[in-house]
Amino acid sequence: MKKFTLTLLALLALAPFAEAQAKKKGADGKAVPSKKASAGPEAMALQDKYYERVQIPTPPGEVVEVSSIALLPGKKVAIASRRGDVWVCEGAYEADVTKVKWTKFASNLHEPLGMFYKGGSLYLTQRPEHTRLTDTDGDGKADVFDTICAKWGINGDYHEYAFGTDPDKDGNVWVVLCLTGSFHAYSPWRGWCVRITPEGKMIPTTSGIRSPGGIGMNEKSDVFYTDNQGVWNGSSSLKWLRPGSFQGNPTGNKSAQLANFPAPPEPKSGSRVLTERLQFPEFVPPAVVFPHGKVGNSPSGMACDMTKGKWGPWANQMFVGEQTASQVQRVNLEVVNGLYQGAVFHFLQGFEAGLVPVRMDQEDGTLFIGGTNRGWGSRGSQPFTFERVRYKGTVPFEMHNISARSDGFEVTFTHPVDAATAADTASYSMDAFTYIYQSSYGSPEVDQAKPTVKSATVSADGLKVRLVIDGLVRGHVHHLVADGVRNKAGDALWHNEGWYTLNEIPSK
Amino acid sequence: MRFPALLALVATTTVSFGAEDGAQVYNTLCVACHGPDGKGLNGLPPLVGSDWPKGPAERTIKIVLHGMTGPVEVAGKAYNIVMPPQGAVLSDEKIAAALTYVRKNFAGNAGAVTPELVKSVRAATATRTTPWTAEELLKDHPFPPPKTALRNLVGTMYKGEWKEMPDFSKLKPAQIEDENTGIISPAQASLKDAFAMVWTAQFQAPEDGKYTFAFDCDDYGALYVNGERVAEIKGIGPVGERRKEVSVLLKKGAVPFRLEYVEVSGHEIIQLSYKGPKDKEYKWLSDTKGTVAKSKRAPIPVEAKDGYTASYRNFIGGTTSRAIGFGFANATNLTYSADNCAVELLWTGKFMDGAQHWVDRGQGNAPPAGDGVVKVSDGMVVAGPSAPSGAIISYQVNKDGGKGASFKVVNEPAEFKGYQLDKNGNPTFKIAGEGFSLTDAWTPADMRGSAGLARKIVAAGDKPVTIVLSRGLTVQANAGAFEVGPRLVVRAISGVAPAAAGPDLVLTLKPGESAVLGYSFR
Repeated sequence: MKKFTLTLLALLALAPFAEAQAKKKGADGKAVPSKKASAGPEAMALQDKYYERVQIPTPPGEVVEVSSIALLPGKKVAIASRRGDVWVCEGAYEADVTKVKWTKFASNLHEPLGMFYKGGSLYLTQRPEHTRLTDTDGDGKADVFDTICAKWGINGDYHEYAFGTDPDKDGNVWVVLCLTGSFHAYSPWRGWCVRITPEGKMIPTTSGIRSPGGIGMNEKSDVFYTDNQGVWNGSSSLKWLRPGSFQGNPTGNKSAQLANFPAPPEPKSGSRVLTERLQFPEFVPPAVVFPHGKVGNSPSGMACDMTKGKWGPWANQMFVGEQTASQVQRVNLEVVNGLYQGAVFHFLQGFEAGLVPVRMDQEDGTLFIGGTNRGWGSRGSQPFTFERVRYKGTVPFEMHNISARSDGFEVTFTHPVDAATAADTASYSMDAFTYIYQSSYGSPEVDQAKPTVKSATVSADGLKVRLVIDGLVRGHVHHLVADGVRNKAGDALWHNEGWYTLNEIPSK
Repeated sequence: MRFPALLALVATTTVSFGAEDGAQVYNTLCVACHGPDGKGLNGLPPLVGSDWPKGPAERTIKIVLHGMTGPVEVAGKAYNIVMPPQGAVLSDEKIAAALTYVRKNFAGNAGAVTPELVKSVRAATATRTTPWTAEELLKDHPFPPPKTALRNLVGTMYKGEWKEMPDFSKLKPAQIEDENTGIISPAQASLKDAFAMVWTAQFQAPEDGKYTFAFDCDDYGALYVNGERVAEIKGIGPVGERRKEVSVLLKKGAVPFRLEYVEVSGHEIIQLSYKGPKDKEYKWLSDTKGTVAKSKRAPIPVEAKDGYTASYRNFIGGTTSRAIGFGFANATNLTYSADNCAVELLWTGKFMDGAQHWVDRGQGNAPPAGDGVVKVSDGMVVAGPSAPSGAIISYQVNKDGGKGASFKVVNEPAEFKGYQLDKNGNPTFKIAGEGFSLTDAWTPADMRGSAGLARKIVAAGDKPVTIVLSRGLTVQANAGAFEVGPRLVVRAISGVAPAAAGPDLVLTLKPGESAVLGYSFR
């Protein structure tokens, strides 16, 4: 009986409610915000118009839960699997991917999460160490496995993951070290980011890590990682690894004494990130919060768009994988008062398994992703997947970026907007919230606020809209829905919402 | 103007319905692992068919509030993963709604959960900061005893030692107990050796037809159904090869049942199960389950192929976390500890089973899959000229993980530098310390007619180095070879020979010197 009642309610609610909403304005003249999720089936239906997603067949009969992707000369692509095999693919860029040829380069390494090619060798960050693999006799198989650095602790716990970057401008590889079981620091340097020099020296770089899902760099070689919802993380987020910083989770603080570092902050549980980070200058707040359940559940690997337009009009934006929901999110970043912040938007969806590695071919504009659902369930049809995505050349109508101003935001669009809808404050709505910063697992959204859009002014070229907003809240996630805005052709946005983390309100 | 009325109806009904929709909470947070149908996704534990969400709701509320970790059996399958706690994220109302949804849809209508109950459990467990283990939860909230076909089960214990089945009518009972669980267990005797037990009960046959009983025990016993002795295990011995399977025709209703059992010494085990006319699988009447074992992970053998040596880098039982295993084509195997710069495990037979690490999340150490594992050393084996002799600890770790835990770095005499594989995948390990370096090559070899390994160690640099080849095992010099422990034989083939040093076998090399050693298994 209860089930029947629910179904009836749903039926009653759908048609009339939607119609009423479209017309309805509140007493203050504002449109009622759309409840339609921007990652829903409608956005999915449009995806093929802008991006072509192709699943590349993995080696037949093999379990290849893709954990790392590296680009090799000659349009070859290397992938590593969670079982630790390294495979080299020829033909991954071809129109007909059914003809790809796979060669096994190495077997049964220890869950590599981060791999790149340099000077004839593959380098990978596996659980116990950073390693260089070289085929010295040219038979297509690695025969020399050089341990470059194995100075961090591991104690046999499956959760002690190590994710590594490509080399930075100094040649150093950044490695984020997950906590033991994601709750403890039972071995040295768990919960830290370390840099590995080409000579194998380990430089502890930041404290405060919980459970990373991926690590990468932006166009300035600043390094970011994703950290998952859990203890001291109210929600998952993209965090900036400023050297010397504390990232918010004090569990691994005790390793500081190994290097005679000053003790990292011991923040107060039950507080707010803003409150605590104002106490501790080394506490760098999350650059962009990915609200849990709204923007996925488990962000993972990332790539910066430096393709000069080959991937679309997203220069220097970050594309971040999502394991649970099998998606790619888009992030625009900016620096305000010395801190990174910015907005996350839904972008691509429908991948066949939960994403872990994300690799952009910056020359060619091809995005490669790898997926796996083992141990952590994900959407999609497959237990593991290797896919490529290419831009088809049609610019989707999107909020290109959201940028903070002293009294609101400036939204840049990818198409010139229709002045009538874009200048109507009723085309926008905003809500804001934050999370409890606490030692327990996750947090509900709290301190809800309702900033109001006072005015919307369209630029002469129609590409920018300046929103003056009453009630910005420093430290809050500001959720902007622009479902009323149309482009000149009358089209609605592909994805009509973004979540901006307002760490700092600029003075101008 | 029908719409406004309808809208009002929707609004009020929704509010009065309760602010939280359990299906919505479930489908947002729980669905990723437990699946939309509660059957578990991608090898994660199901709710359907599981005892966990049934019975007292406190158990499930605790799991949702604080999470769960460690080994757990769900619906007959073993798991070892973490369920993240949701107590900080979800209100009492949301937890109650989600659990009500789960219990209604996936737990056989186990009854609604109220926000008040969640609130009281939350308050009672407010100091809890870590996820629960299955053991803790079942201690406080045990599963109900399974209802078996055995009604009015009574166990009678007799003390003594008998070479054959005694005449129980002439013995004096030492203990008589009702076994309300309906489960037969030798543990009910509370003795380890020299006792006998007789269980009597009514076997409840649900219908007319053929009933097959499977019976085995250690040491011996006899099964009586409907007054007839239908199966007997004779004499002292283990379970396995003496298992009896017997079919009897029974009428629906209560059938007299009797089991006689004698334990002389050693293991005490009874395995008894039956299959009724409509049963597809055996149902257990004993606590120990035998030949119809619960499902295990299918093995994923890792082995040498076409003469190419297999490798396995993962957590291997019996050595340190930085373990590197090699399985050679001649069924000899080793595990190298990159932490201790040493081969620590040697064994024969199967190399490794990947299933523990390659199915689900992969918690724990996988033991070597083969036989007769010899642990040749434990700890750093290389003593450079500037390092103190003996064991050298690289890290001291306090495992309590609390605020007081500390790590200490002690001098590291040698560092693992990696390895090189030859054309057949055989490894040469490389280590270096202050003023010295070593290469340590292993290849499969025939050692006087049996499968063994040839090892070549070469020293370079400008300082001598001492390597402990085996530590703490007995070393017996015998006809030019060293018998190391009960299984291993180490033979000097060429170059510098090792020497026994108390319980250790030690090799000292000057720069430029080398040693070739042969390893075989007894």
